[in-house]
Parts: sequence; C-alpha cells; structure tokens
Amino acid sequence: MSKAKKVLEEARELQNPEMDLCDRGIGTFEELSGLLNMTYITRLTLSHNKLKSVPPGLANLTNLEILNLSNNLIEELPLSLSSMPKLRILTLTINRLYNLPRGFGAFPVLEVLDLTYNNLKDSSLPGNFFMMETLRALYLGDNDFERLPPDIKNLKNLQILVLRENDLIELPGEIGDLPRLRELHVQGNRLTILPPEIGNLDMASNKSVFKFEGNEWVPPIADQLQLGVSHLMDYLRSETYRVLYSRYQTNKPPVPPPCVDKAKKVSRIR
Amino acid sequence: MSPTPMPGLTNMSREHMICSKCGEGFEPQEKIVNSTGQLWHQQCFVCAQCFREFRDGVFYEFDGRKYCEHDFHVLFAPCCNRCGEFIIGRVIKAMNASWHPSCFRCEMCSIELADTGFIKNGGRALCHECNAKVKARGLGKYVCHKCHSIIDDQPLKFRGEVYHPYHFTCTACGVELDANAREDMNELYCLRCHDKMGIPICGACRRPIEERVVTALGKHWHVEHFACAKCEKPFFGHRHYEKKGLAYCETHYHQLFGNLCFVCNQVIAGDVFTALNKAWCVNHFACSVCDQKMNQKTKFYECDLKPVCKKCYEKFPAEFRRRLRRQHEAATPKKASTPT
Repeated sequence: MSKAKKVLEEARELQNPEMDLCDRGIGTFEELSGLLNMTYITRLTLSHNKLKSVPPGLANLTNLEILNLSNNLIEELPLSLSSMPKLRILTLTINRLYNLPRGFGAFPVLEVLDLTYNNLKDSSLPGNFFMMETLRALYLGDNDFERLPPDIKNLKNLQILVLRENDLIELPGEIGDLPRLRELHVQGNRLTILPPEIGNLDMASNKSVFKFEGNEWVPPIADQLQLGVSHLMDYLRSETYRVLYSRYQTNKPPVPPPCVDKAKKVSRIR
Repeated sequence: MSPTPMPGLTNMSREHMICSKCGEGFEPQEKIVNSTGQLWHQQCFVCAQCFREFRDGVFYEFDGRKYCEHDFHVLFAPCCNRCGEFIIGRVIKAMNASWHPSCFRCEMCSIELADTGFIKNGGRALCHECNAKVKARGLGKYVCHKCHSIIDDQPLKFRGEVYHPYHFTCTACGVELDANAREDMNELYCLRCHDKMGIPICGACRRPIEERVVTALGKHWHVEHFACAKCEKPFFGHRHYEKKGLAYCETHYHQLFGNLCFVCNQVIAGDVFTALNKAWCVNHFACSVCDQKMNQKTKFYECDLKPVCKKCYEKFPAEFRRRLRRQHEAATPKKASTPT
C-alpha cells in the first residue's frame, strides 16, 4: 500500500474533514481511489506532488473550501473547479499553467486565488476572470503578463494584488478604483510610469504595503519613491504629475526590456 | 313673613277694629289675624288666588295681595333654566333665562359663574379661563395657567401645565426664565444653570442628556448619539470597539484595523497572530504552501507577504529561491536574508 493510500484510509476512518496529502509522490488522482467520494472534506492539500492534471470529478467535493495544489506539474485545469459552491481558497503556486479554462471566473465564493509561479500571460485569462467579486486576494506573481485589462476594477473586494516579476509594461488606471486595496506588489516588472489614479489608493497608511523595486521608473517617480510612498502618492495626485503623465502618454518612449530572466523557471514545459 | 293669629288682642277696643279685607268689624269672641300691623277675619286671611288658608301661615305678598306659596310660584316666581325648579331668593338672569346661582355654571369646567361673570361663546356660557382656552385652541396656542391669557411665544411647561415663561425666575440665579428653562426636581432653572448642575453633556451633540446616558471613551452620550465612527450607526447597547479615542462597530473595527483572519475571513475572537500585514486566528495560522499549522515559535519565510514554512521553502525551485533572496536583499539592503 502506498503512503497516500494509507493516509486516505486513516482519514476515512477518522472522518477528518481536513485532508493532508503533502509530498506523497502522487502522480495522478487515480492513485487516490475513493477520494472523490469523500464529499465531507473541507480542505484538500496536495502540495509537493507530481500531479499533471486535475480530474473534473474533483468538483464532486462540494464541501471543499480550501484546495491547495502548490508545487505540482499541473498544465491544465478542468472548468468544473469554478462551479465548486464553497471553494474559498485555491492555491496553484508553482505549476505549469499556460492557460485557464474558459469561464474560469465563475467561482461563486472564491476569496483567495493564488496563481504564483506559472506561465500565464495576457491572453491566458478568460473573459469572465475579473467577475469574481468575492475575491480578496489575487496572486499573479511570477507569470508573464505585460498588461492587465481595465476590467480589474470589477474586483470590488480585492485587498491584495500581487504582480511581482511579470513583464508588465503599464498598469491600468482602474487599479485606482479598487476601494479596499491595501497590498500592491509590482516589483520586478518593466514599469516606467504609474497612472495618476493610483493616487486614489490609500497606499501610504501603515496598514498598506506598496512594493515597487526593480522597475525602470522615470526619474521623478524614482525620486519620490526614494523619499517614501507617501511622497509618491502626493506626487501622483499633483497637477505637475498629471502634465508629465499626459506628455509621457503622447511621446510613448521605448519600452524597457524584461528585467528578470525567467527562462530558467521550472514551470516551463521543456 | 310669618303672620300669627293674635288671640291676646281680643279685648283691645275691638269695636274700632275692622278687617283689612272685608272692612267689617269683629265679633267679640272672634279670632283676629294680625299680620304686619293689619287685621283680618280668619276666613279673610287667605290666598288671593285659591282662597285657602296659608299653610303653616306662610304667604307671599305681591302688589298688595297675599298668595300661598304654591300660587305665588305659579303666578310670579321664575323657573331655573337648568333644574326646572322655582327660584327662591337670588335669581341669575342670563342667557335669556333665569337660574339658581348654584345652577348657572361654566359649560366646560362647571365652575359657578354667579359671582365671577361669564362670557358668551358660541351660545355657551363660559368662565373667562375656558373662554381663553377655547380661543387659544382656535389659534393653535396655549393659555397660561397663571394669567389665563394666550401665550403668543413659546410656552414653558411646568408640572404638567403651560405658562408664560416670564412668570417664573430661575431657582438658582433668579433670572427671568424663557422657554429654554428646564425642570429639575420640581424646580425651574434657566438653561445655563441647569447645564451646570452636573447633568451630563453628550460628547457628540454637546447638549445635556436628560434621558438614558451612555458612558464610554471617558465621555457621556445620548444613546442615539453613541455610534460607530465609520458607519455612524448607533450601537444601542451592542458591543463596540475602541481605537484611538473613537468607537467602532464590530464589522468596521475589524475592517479598518485588520483583525479578520486571512484564511476564514472571520472576526478573530481569541488570540491573534499578526504578521506580514495580516492577521490569523489560532486555527488558521499555517504555512501557505502545505497548510501545516504554525505557532509563535515556528520560523517561516515570507513570499509575497504569505508565510512559508522552512520545509516548503526548501522545496521551492532553486532559481525561485534565488530571486526571492535577491528581492529581499533589494528591499532591505543592509540586512542579510533570514527567515522572520
């Protein structure tokens, strides 16, 4: 009997609603016979395994609130995941996703979506991706986005937005419309300038975090960041900046090259 | 008016005496009636109407004639417009009718009007006070309970009645009162004195609190003025949370001050783990990669402000760790990267 089977047996006997199957060398869900019938489970953690795909039947676990598939080899997700009625936290850190299924944004109660360290780009997101109004935290760090759509303003409950180490050339001004945003990570991108709407955010308070290092900021922004985030926020709201921003928009200086070498990412399928 | 037969007079020069009615003399042994200096045969001393003797000798005189009580009333006495009885003695002539003094009363408050005078109001006899009330009501105004005249300005309410405020002075400072005067322990005070008498002042509206007082944040509040600093809804006895001299409802306190658990998104009732700009309840402080519970002593790494246990961090791809380390160094240039 494999390690995973043993854990499953034990869990079934205890009727434990929290299922930990971390680092069990699991290659496919087929090794986990009976798992998809254990509908009482509320958490399933399958981190550090070798899963390549997720069966649509996983959505049978209708009581599941937390699904953690960190550090696997997943290349594709079934659309059925987004119909899981209680799923609140979905973690897909360190996988090999290039795309998300169409209609993926249909999750009824998803609060935290962690897609850190995959291969997602602008065209990977389905049309309804930003319809997830219940989303509190969206982790898109370590992917290949160059731009985000203005639809992002629909994520009215978003408090945390991580875009660390993508290829972002610019940020949509609509980020300034997210009233509850208190964590914004944009380190390691190709940003040069910020939309003035970012000045609407309360990023200078002690409850907020703004991470910005490793970009090609224009000198006025770099200067303000040197002084502190509160200086930057004041500057973004100023008339001076508005003029500078519109001039910049018309001149369209060349886009800086990617500043992070992500060729060696293990998420790439070779 | 009570004539009595006078048998003792029978021997006094009877031959010169004549009956006031018939003018005849009296027989020697005949009883003579003497009334108010006049003499009658007993059979002549009778009611001018019914010719019967006066019962108990009581008669009434009118125009030189004498009547028994009954016929006098029938012929001459007024009837009370209220009780329908004859009026003997003082007659009140008013409202085109006659009244016993005790029957002529104010139609509203029934006070006797005989000695105080009355006012005709819409066909009713009213005392001065009720008349003023009716008039005031018509004008939408009060009548002063003291001077009974209409109160044109704001009335002063005191012990259930309304008055002109100027009839009173402040119990404390003696100043003439206005309508802002306050009643306290059955005494009247001007607003200034009343405010100074240890009556709590609301921390929100700065006005005195006369009803229920909420004491919180070192101040007093009207129940309806003690409200969440964020949503402004009154607590009405529900739990509130204090922060920097302000009070918040549960929802907004946690929304503003971050004591919602990052995992279950519920208000954290017991112990709180605070780290990485987030908070967790005891049950949910865990590694973000393997979901294994952690405690205060567990060392963890930080990745995008999420906690990662050492075991999981070591399973991260080497190039990812390298980049995370480099970033950490860039953000905190002087310190080497160490787990927090």
